[in-house]
Amino acid sequence: MNKQIRRLAVALLACYLVLFVQLNVLAVGRQQELNADPRNNRQTERDFNRPRGSIVAADGTVLARSVPTTRGDQFKYQREYPTGDLFGNVTGYYTFSFGSTQLELTQNDVLMGDTDEQKLRAIGGLFSGSDNTGSVVLSMRPDVQQVAADALGTREGSVVVMNPHTGAVIAMISNPRYNPADVAVHNSKRAEEVLTFLNALPGKPLLANAYQERYMPGSSFKVITTSIAFENGVTALDRQFPSTKEYVPPQTTDPIQNFGGTVCGGSMVEVFFRSCNIPFAQLAIELGPEKMVEGTKKWGIGEKVPIDLPAPAASGFGEVSDFTDQLPLLAIGGFGQGSTTMVPLHMAMVASTIANGGVMMKPHVVDATLAHDGGVLSRTTPSVWKTPIAATTAETLTTLMIGVVNQGTGKPMQLDGGIQAAAKTGTAQLNTTGPERSNAWIIGFAPATDPQYAIAVVLKGGPNDEISAGTGGKLAGPIAKTVLDYLFAHPSATGG
Amino acid sequence: MSSSPIAAARRRTELGLIVMAATITGAAYTLASLGKNAVIPPILVPFLIIVLGLLVVAHLANRVLAKGADGTILPLAAMLHGIGYVIIARLSERSAGLQTTWTFVAILAYVATLVIIQRAGDLARYQWSFLAVGAALLLLPLVPGIGNSKGGARIWVSLGPINFQPGEFAKIALALFFAGYLADHRELIASGAWRVGPFHLPELRHLLPIALAWGFAVVVMVAEQDLGSSLLFFTLFVVMMWVSTERASYLVIGLVLFSGAAFAAWKLFDHVKTRVAIWRNPWPQYSGKGYQVVQAMFAFANGGTGGTGLGLGSPNKIPVAKTDFIFAAIGEELGLLGTTAILIGFLLMIGGGLRIAIRADRPFDKLLATGLTTIVGMQAFIIIGGVTRVVPLTGIALPFVSYGGSSLLANYVLLALLVRVSDSTARRLGETPNELTAQERIKAYRQRRAAAKALP
Repeated sequence: MNKQIRRLAVALLACYLVLFVQLNVLAVGRQQELNADPRNNRQTERDFNRPRGSIVAADGTVLARSVPTTRGDQFKYQREYPTGDLFGNVTGYYTFSFGSTQLELTQNDVLMGDTDEQKLRAIGGLFSGSDNTGSVVLSMRPDVQQVAADALGTREGSVVVMNPHTGAVIAMISNPRYNPADVAVHNSKRAEEVLTFLNALPGKPLLANAYQERYMPGSSFKVITTSIAFENGVTALDRQFPSTKEYVPPQTTDPIQNFGGTVCGGSMVEVFFRSCNIPFAQLAIELGPEKMVEGTKKWGIGEKVPIDLPAPAASGFGEVSDFTDQLPLLAIGGFGQGSTTMVPLHMAMVASTIANGGVMMKPHVVDATLAHDGGVLSRTTPSVWKTPIAATTAETLTTLMIGVVNQGTGKPMQLDGGIQAAAKTGTAQLNTTGPERSNAWIIGFAPATDPQYAIAVVLKGGPNDEISAGTGGKLAGPIAKTVLDYLFAHPSATGG
Repeated sequence: MSSSPIAAARRRTELGLIVMAATITGAAYTLASLGKNAVIPPILVPFLIIVLGLLVVAHLANRVLAKGADGTILPLAAMLHGIGYVIIARLSERSAGLQTTWTFVAILAYVATLVIIQRAGDLARYQWSFLAVGAALLLLPLVPGIGNSKGGARIWVSLGPINFQPGEFAKIALALFFAGYLADHRELIASGAWRVGPFHLPELRHLLPIALAWGFAVVVMVAEQDLGSSLLFFTLFVVMMWVSTERASYLVIGLVLFSGAAFAAWKLFDHVKTRVAIWRNPWPQYSGKGYQVVQAMFAFANGGTGGTGLGLGSPNKIPVAKTDFIFAAIGEELGLLGTTAILIGFLLMIGGGLRIAIRADRPFDKLLATGLTTIVGMQAFIIIGGVTRVVPLTGIALPFVSYGGSSLLANYVLLALLVRVSDSTARRLGETPNELTAQERIKAYRQRRAAAKALP
């Protein structure tokens, strides 16, 4: 019988070897696939019982942090957002059942201490302490963010302030906004109610409209049309445009009018600061679909704005084929009407490019990521996205935009202390019939000779509100002035 | 009492290994407590000490009652039991308290078995009683009033406040019967009065009792929808037939019968169809009957190689994690390393049990040790295979590891029998003095008294 017993031993060993192989398949071979399954929320659950690092502003203000919960809570840590709704659209939220957004999503590994470098650093401290979390330091200033938010008030729209030379975002407000703390509650049912409520709101507060939404730019787009015209040599500063009330583009009998149906004309400088429409329609037609579309593409229109935040929008102008048989559409596109749409952040980047000698930097909100001991994991180095125009063209445009502030529609942006600003306004008429609705825009930078800040302000036009009544300069201009005046008075954050 | 160097060495080894198992358990328990609540729940510490103390009691029982027995299988059981206890404590503090009570009862039963059964060979005489007891235990859950269903299988019996699974004990009774009967009849069965093709078939009357016993067990288990136990009995029967007759034809016949029975069960019973469908692909039934298996897969994946760490995973997500699915909980928190350690623990126990069988010099002892080892080895394989989707899932306890009084009690009785077989062999081989047992002394005393009376 011993022979059989020995064979039995071998047979049972073989059975257990099969189990061992299968365990390897489950725990190692298919580990990533099984852990990535959305029905497997073990990882999330574990994360909610681990500390998570903070997101801090340029001046050290904490924008998001995890604090230990009191006993009895479902999880060990609760995410807090001390600045309330001020940075909601930048930090995003961090929830158990509904995922996370914005920086809480993209910087998750750093915050949890899960990047390879952090894990490697943690090996040294294996027995001394387990907190391995990292923090994310932003280039944004909460004081400027607050000033911009106050200036915007309850109106729907965005303010974006950037350093034109580095692409660092200093302030970026998207109205309406929300407080991520309301969504980050551990009670999943409550969180779901809040999300449902926020999603049902008309202004889409969960969408960061400063970089995830597009608006018709109106006359502020003339900066781009003009730049393309200069780059292609179809205009000059001393070119004269006839004073006229109507212009009939090719392929139609329907004339184009100036804003408010006025008679408008004069030198290139004059039509720019008076924001006549007809000259820019003519420039677009003179350039033709190919050069115009090629020019807008050089500006990055049609591509997603390359910010270090998730799901950015892309500005839109159109393709050559959209215009060859639709020249009137190209004509009104020349002054930012028709199918033209711009992301507010992209417009701040357009202003920055002119301020930066024609070089467009990649925008970023994250300045650095730090390990738990304060050591730098990564630091954002400024990088060029595109070079849409030559330095000389940028200089010419600066001249034109100074005119806008000193003599034209941008007068409300004249800054305190005699600091010279350069700007372009825009009032995008959203409808041709019914009650008038418009987007009010201003983009610009200051000081014009040595630019430090670039800004874009947009107020979305709702029906029957004050935005529709005024032109962009009157509504958006004072907001830009408030923010820039504050910046020149407080060149670095004072904690106020 | 005199002792021998061999016996003393075995007991020293056993004590050393039990101390190691206790250390592992204590360390694991501390880690689990730190992970889960950041403080050690103070109520449970005495319970843990009791469990570890009881394992030492089992060792002391071996020193007195089974001096020459193999010194490895008790520590292996202690390690499996200890890791299981930590996982149970980590899943449910209340269950851990109850499991302590079960441990006490189980160790008591272990010692009692060693006290009552002093020589393994004595058991062979009671083979027909064991058959009757086994059959009665199997039928108990079907008795109206006391039989209970939990999770689909009707395998529970409630007598007042006590709930237990008689099937856990029936498997030992049937192993005893098979060993006794086959030891007596194996040559008759093996000789094969009939020859059909390549097979030698025994006279029917020699085969009938055992075939009936097996058929009865399997039919009852199927009636109780306890497929795991059916498979276990089937394997036990085939293995013992094969080992006792030394004829591989029983393996072939067994395989054919098994395939037929499996196919019939699949055709006849919807719950078997469901189990097979889930085994092949659990994903479509994620929100239904496949949930448990998928969660177990998630648990293994989440554990990865090193595990999340004790008290740091989420094994509570797996339904019935502390009983049938405890292996998945181990996989999550201790990882591939931990589950491999459990597999090796069972393999070493199988090795120890079969070594006892090989060393045994009497057919009954050999067959009993083989049968008991097969039960432990196959039961662990069936449930681990079910949890990891190697075989269709059939609910059955993981020996020594799972929560549950019946399982723990039965497995410690089984262990005591293996220890007893080992000790009896050591006595006969002269490795330890073959002193008279207490029962034999009493018997001898009575005989002397009777003899003294008979003489003037």
